[in-house]
Amino acid sequence: MIPLRALVRKELASLFGSPLAYLTLTGVALVTALIFFDHLRVYNQILFLYSSTSLGGFDADAIPDFVNLRDQVFLPVMETLGLTLIGLVPLVTMRVFAEERARQTDELLQTTLLSPTEIVLGKFAATFVFVALLLLASFVYPAASILRAGLGLEHLAAVYLGLFVLGLALASIGLACSALTASQLVAAVSAYAVAFVFYDFSWATTFTGETLGPLLDALSLHPRFGRFSEGVVRVADLVYFAGYAVVAFAVARLSLEQARVR
Amino acid sequence: MMLGELALAGLVALAFGVGSYYATGAFGAFGVVNVASGGLALAAAAVLALRGWRGFGSPDARRVLTPPLLGLCAALAGSVALERIADARDWRFDLTFERRYELAPAMHELLTSRGGDVRATLFCEQGDPRCRSTRILLETLASASGGRLAWEREELADEPESADRFGITTSNTVVLERGERFAKVERPSEGSLYEAIQRLVAEPAGFLYVARGEGEGDLRRTDDVGYSGFAAALETEGYRLRDLVLAATDEIPADASALLLLAPERELRADAFAALRRWLDGGGRLVVCLDPGQRSGIEALLAEWGLDVPDRLVVDPASGPVAGDPTGVNPIVHQFADHPVARGLGETRMVFFRGARPVIPARKPQADDDLRAVAFSSRRAWLAASGAVADGARPPERPADAAEDYQPLAATGRYPRVGSEARIVAFGDCDFAANRNLRGLYNQDLALNAVHWATDRTERITLRPKALPPHQFPLTPQETLRMLYGVGLLVPELLLVAGGLAWLRRRSG
Repeated sequence: MIPLRALVRKELASLFGSPLAYLTLTGVALVTALIFFDHLRVYNQILFLYSSTSLGGFDADAIPDFVNLRDQVFLPVMETLGLTLIGLVPLVTMRVFAEERARQTDELLQTTLLSPTEIVLGKFAATFVFVALLLLASFVYPAASILRAGLGLEHLAAVYLGLFVLGLALASIGLACSALTASQLVAAVSAYAVAFVFYDFSWATTFTGETLGPLLDALSLHPRFGRFSEGVVRVADLVYFAGYAVVAFAVARLSLEQARVR
Repeated sequence: MMLGELALAGLVALAFGVGSYYATGAFGAFGVVNVASGGLALAAAAVLALRGWRGFGSPDARRVLTPPLLGLCAALAGSVALERIADARDWRFDLTFERRYELAPAMHELLTSRGGDVRATLFCEQGDPRCRSTRILLETLASASGGRLAWEREELADEPESADRFGITTSNTVVLERGERFAKVERPSEGSLYEAIQRLVAEPAGFLYVARGEGEGDLRRTDDVGYSGFAAALETEGYRLRDLVLAATDEIPADASALLLLAPERELRADAFAALRRWLDGGGRLVVCLDPGQRSGIEALLAEWGLDVPDRLVVDPASGPVAGDPTGVNPIVHQFADHPVARGLGETRMVFFRGARPVIPARKPQADDDLRAVAFSSRRAWLAASGAVADGARPPERPADAAEDYQPLAATGRYPRVGSEARIVAFGDCDFAANRNLRGLYNQDLALNAVHWATDRTERITLRPKALPPHQFPLTPQETLRMLYGVGLLVPELLLVAGGLAWLRRRSG
């Protein structure tokens, strides 16, 4: 257990030793802030338009139901944050295995007391901790909006649970890609591509028709995440996202063993 | 070409093909070529990968690689199996503030016992964010219905014929079909879907006659003081409404399931009273509401049937100001008797009246009759003169001799007679069912359940799904900008400084 903890610490230290981690965190915080305030600005403009004297004001029930903080600000910001994770998480995961392989320090790692399973576990754990930190950096504005609008902490918790498991799935894809190559660039590009393709399979119905369509739809990340942002937590969705981590873990372990055999 | 490069090229081509689909909403030549070439490249990479595994054919390699390979297969199979099991069980938690995906008992009852063979189609434009919550709602309904409700999603742009047929003008519209009948819901919520399904499955419940001609509340009037909402709700419940001009009739029609008298303002003719008496003697069903300050003679008729409705105003200081009126004149009711009309109502499911007079079950006309008060004010209520707040300014002051007590605001009477049973439901206020107030709190449920009880349809008495108003809090654009530059950019700024310091330290170290 102690060597595993040491590996996690080393991974986190190596991550925060470079400006990339901070840039990624800054990126998430900045994107969330700008998007949040932009949506808030547009929402308020719409609200004031509807509540203007010519349309009867606030008391005249002239404001349609869909003009509300939840639908106009909170949910779109969370959606965009989910997409932002696709752009940023592979930047973090690309180096985790690929860098070690390129520098050939993976062989050194395998001479330690750690088993391949523990090595993979340590790297996954460190990456997941970073994903949690990413979300923490984005937490302030949605939390402020949802508390101010009285939408409830439980809904906020559901959304962040969704973002976290989405982040885990994206990180798992990135880690699996990183484990299969020695090039960080290849790892990042392939992680982007896989995540993008898996994000929503609705495109596939054009080729697969109505029979395979629902099956592929069930594999899509976006509709699953959508339920969390609507405040609904399904065990099936949690299992689905956890499945990415389990399968990516198995891929990374296989890749490590394969490198050993070579 | 190497395996890695081939796979990478394939993935990138696939991603660009998919990207073009998202950008344009359709697969053009660029998208098709990219997806096809990407798929081919990935397939070729897979073949190469499989061929590459031949190099690991030695017994030692197999010994090392077999466990992780089996682990990968087990991870895949286990994940899929667990997900399918969880999906089939549909364990879910609704964490929304208003529990918008937890269905009301009335919806459960409707779906499981009456709402068979209903097909719902959600028509959406691509990218309409509102469709997602509707989709989850329809999923929840389908799951709760046990197969009695099926649903599907259609692209609005792909279905111009359906749009024409159903008159769909906006995205996020649900069309419910049952046999040849259909109902369109443009702002889907549990409540609106409930009403639409109800309209589809409702069996005709007989004729409900509505008295007209003496200044009664108007079921066709759609403004705040009209009763068109009540009329629509009654029709949704299966009632067929018919006008009855009491001034021009000597008999209440025999096919009347009940007669609705909404606050007549003028004195009814003697012939009309005689017809009402004969009808009630023969087992008629009357739902009547009377506002304070009105004298139509109905008070005397009700008194004959044991219900006193003195022309006084109930002032309940426990009720705060409602709709700009002084405190106490609009009683908010949370005390109900154990009676079918008030089933489910209570401290968390309240009703409010807009100026009410008491309805007191005073004396039974016959020993077997059953008179019951069903809704009460608080214990602090007292009775004022009916014109006490005519100027609408200040709450009336309680005279020293006015006693405080629970004041009955609605009452029912059952009058078993040989071969028939008359029923009366009387409310001390009519405005509670007017358009402005009907959807407030549980007013609609009380009004509809009273009609159901009067017409002996107690199995239909329920509390219907409610929709909370959305949160709309305003900020001026200036305030928004001040928030952005005041605190909004602080977190990214601090993170950037920390990153710069880490980089400088690394360089110097």
